[in-house]
Amino acid sequence: MSNYLRRVLAIGLLSAVGVGSASAAGDSKIALVPGGPHPYFAAWEQAGKDAAKDFGLAAADYKVPQKWELSQQNQLLESLLTQGYNGFLIFPGDPVGSVSTVDELVSNGAPVVGGAGCFKDPSSASFCLGTDTGNSAYIGTKELLKTLTGTKKRIAHFTGFLVDPNTQLRIDAVKKAAEEEGATVVQVIADIDAPEPAEEKINAYLAAHANDVDGIITSAWVPAVVASNAVRKIGDKRIKMVAIDHDEVVLKAIKDGFVNGTMLQNPYGQGYIGTFVLDKLRSGCTVKTDAPFKKNALTDKFIDSGTAYVAADKVDTYVDAMRDTTKKLFETFQATYLTCK
Amino acid sequence: MSYPDLPAKGPSGDIVGKPRRNTAATRFYLTNEFGLIALIVLFALAFQFATDGFFSPFNLFSLGRIAAVNIMIGLAMMVVVITGGLNLAVGAIGVCAAMTCGYLIEVVGLPWPIAILSAVALGAMLGFINGWTSVRTGLHSFIITLATMSIFFGVMIFLTRAESYRALPPVFAAFGRMKLLGIFSPLLLVSLMAALFLGYLYNLTAVGREMLAAGAKPEAAEMSGINVGRIFIYCHMLSGALAACAALMLVARNGAAIPSMAGQLGQDWLLIAFLGPVLGGTLLTGGKASVLGTCLGAFLVTMLTSGLLLLQLGDFWIQSFLGLLLLAAVLMDKTRRTFLARRNMA
Repeated sequence: MSNYLRRVLAIGLLSAVGVGSASAAGDSKIALVPGGPHPYFAAWEQAGKDAAKDFGLAAADYKVPQKWELSQQNQLLESLLTQGYNGFLIFPGDPVGSVSTVDELVSNGAPVVGGAGCFKDPSSASFCLGTDTGNSAYIGTKELLKTLTGTKKRIAHFTGFLVDPNTQLRIDAVKKAAEEEGATVVQVIADIDAPEPAEEKINAYLAAHANDVDGIITSAWVPAVVASNAVRKIGDKRIKMVAIDHDEVVLKAIKDGFVNGTMLQNPYGQGYIGTFVLDKLRSGCTVKTDAPFKKNALTDKFIDSGTAYVAADKVDTYVDAMRDTTKKLFETFQATYLTCK
Repeated sequence: MSYPDLPAKGPSGDIVGKPRRNTAATRFYLTNEFGLIALIVLFALAFQFATDGFFSPFNLFSLGRIAAVNIMIGLAMMVVVITGGLNLAVGAIGVCAAMTCGYLIEVVGLPWPIAILSAVALGAMLGFINGWTSVRTGLHSFIITLATMSIFFGVMIFLTRAESYRALPPVFAAFGRMKLLGIFSPLLLVSLMAALFLGYLYNLTAVGREMLAAGAKPEAAEMSGINVGRIFIYCHMLSGALAACAALMLVARNGAAIPSMAGQLGQDWLLIAFLGPVLGGTLLTGGKASVLGTCLGAFLVTMLTSGLLLLQLGDFWIQSFLGLLLLAAVLMDKTRRTFLARRNMA
């Protein structure tokens, strides 16, 4: 997403809630910490900067562990607390193993919100703000199956890391949607949300079994990119595909007709709203006990940051879809989920 | 070691006691341990000067807690390195032991002390498999443990379905979060006890000296009546048990037994497992153990990582820096030994 579009998004959000709501604590120093390096989280960096500027925070910095290792993330979080960061938006390195660190951060006065992934209950995290990954995969699969006209409806599912708490939810959702439509999931390839394994496994699978597959659903960033390139290489557009996220490769493949559509997530909204909420929590707001949280397999305090299906007709205006989703959530967030004096 | 308080004589019969004392002092200054202590002091002062909060109670506590685990991991590797071998499966063994502990407590319902002992015993048993296979096949333990790393980890993932065990008694998490005097983690005491045990083993027991002798010159040790194969198996068992202890310490730190605690195949532990012993002066060719050096080496690495994070040096540079440190340590050790050999001080 270009800087211009991000600014437009941020200005739109601010105008939606009014400048008066930015009653920020000037000493709020928020850290946005993913589980490791991954393109999905790149939008968090700009979201943090925009939120810091819009709400007058001391800082809202994007800090990435060197690798996808729980110990590295824990060590980084402890270091950030020492450096004076006092609010954390975290994608858990492990939904269970990160809970102890979260408890320590909170006990030291730094509120924590789960971003894009949830901590397993019980934890001291205020709530989890992420994509309803199961719902996203379910909708994406339904959209894919609408495009399949034959009777067989054989689909392959390419997805992310098994240690990612969202992966199993996605696998289950795709299976459920397929069963409802009388389709068959002929192959699930997981643990490939990195370029090397994704290239190797997806290309090898399609080289051997392209004729046995009518559709492809992807539910992680890198597999979506690799599969988009693969169907472009195959070239006959027989295999239908629904991707995920908004990588340029995916968007171009949609425009060119090789991919039917993509399920957008809302990482920018997670980063922006997450930072806003953390500042509010530091300013004395509390999370409503009776807030209309959703439930998922990990937590009873889940908030859907939004998802939207974008096909070729809307691919040029996908930012509008993300902006609308974020704006809608932001407008009512404080009133719905927080109690502020 | 101190020299006898007798005046030495030079080739001409002159008393040359003073130079000898200088030699002893020089030898001390050239030890890895002294170098590491100096580096720890220097870096600590530098980080205190350059960062905010390096000596803050929370940072000291978290630094000590991470160092405790890293020291234990370093010791687990060191006890095999002294045989001239390697144990690439330290992480995999550790995770297997931790998951076993979680299973025994959460599923079987055993009391936690028995579960802990069982986990350590499993670590020793997996170490036995490494040692026995290595001795029986005559293959280098690098090959054997490379294979068993995948086998152990794969079996663990299959049996546990990659599910975590988090319904552990509160005493686990409480121990991991406990602060002594406000800044020390009790996990440091566990590592200290392990280090003292190893110091006692290598310096004051016959089997410890046999381990060093077998590692230095296996053929000579065999000819002098030592069962080298059996000794090597003991070393691998000890390594497995120490790896299990490290993993149990991580269980206390995380409050749960989780399959990803040491990364894919347990490989996350490998760099620190090598850095501690090598920085500490343990010879990769075997025959020499430096327990104190390993502890100091692991502590230095942990402190550097903490300091570099506080400096907000590009996060991705830290791993590169640690790799460079490993390389520099090996080269400096080689230079040191050459220096000592040239002056007949080795």
